[in-house]
Amino acid sequence: MKSLKHISVAFLIILISGLGTYYLKPKNPIMMIFQFLIVGFFIFNLIIRKSLSFKNYFTSQYNLFTTKVWSEKSYDIPKELMFEKIIEVINHSDFKLVESDKDKFEILAISTITFKSWGENLYISFETKGNETIMKFCSATLFQIYSWGKNEKNCTDLLNEIEKSLTI
Amino acid sequence: MAIVVNLDVMLAKRKMKLKELSEKVGVSTVNLSILKQGKVKAIRFSTLDSICLALDCQPGDILEHIE
Repeated sequence: MKSLKHISVAFLIILISGLGTYYLKPKNPIMMIFQFLIVGFFIFNLIIRKSLSFKNYFTSQYNLFTTKVWSEKSYDIPKELMFEKIIEVINHSDFKLVESDKDKFEILAISTITFKSWGENLYISFETKGNETIMKFCSATLFQIYSWGKNEKNCTDLLNEIEKSLTI
Repeated sequence: MAIVVNLDVMLAKRKMKLKELSEKVGVSTVNLSILKQGKVKAIRFSTLDSICLALDCQPGDILEHIE
C-alpha cells in the first residue's frame, strides 16, 4: 500500500510538471479550476478534521493524502477508567481534546497548525481483552506524504505522559 | 501484586466519598479510582501524606502487604 502511495505521488508530480508547461499560465481557465479544486479540497479537509465522524476517512489506508502512524498500548485498568484518564492526560499535553464519545470509547485530539506542520489528528480507541484495556492510537497528518518522525515522536511523548501520570 | 490498597475500606470507615477526598487531597477522582484498584505504578510520599491527613489515618491503614 505504501509503494502504491509513493507511485501515485510520483505520478502526480510528473503529471503536474508535464502539464504545467502547457497549462500553468496566469488566467488560464484550467489552471484556475485546478487551483480552485486544491484550495477547496484543503478547506474541506480542515473543516471536517475536527469531527470523529470522519475518522474512517482520515485513517483509511486508501486515503493517500494523509500520513498515518499506528501504535498500541495496554494497561490492566478498566476501559471506563482508562478513557477518563486519557482525557485528563490529553488536557495536560500539547494536544487539544476536540471530541470524545463515551459510548463508542473514542477520542479525537488535534495538535495545532504551525509553520512546521499542518496539524495532526490523534484518534484513540479502546478495546477490552480479558482484564486488559488495549488503546489503539492513530496519528494522521493531513496533506503530508511522510511524517518525518514527528507523528511517532508525538505519539511516544503522549505514551510517556500516560505512563508518568500513573504515578500519583 | 502483594500490596493491597485499602482506600475503599478507609473511605467507608470515615463515611467519605471519593469526590470529597479528591477535593481535600487535590488528586483527581480518576487517579484515586485507579489507586483504589491498586493499579497505579507508584504513589508519592506527598500524596500519601495528604490522604493520611484527610482520612486521619496511618499509611499502614491504606497500604497492606500480603503474602
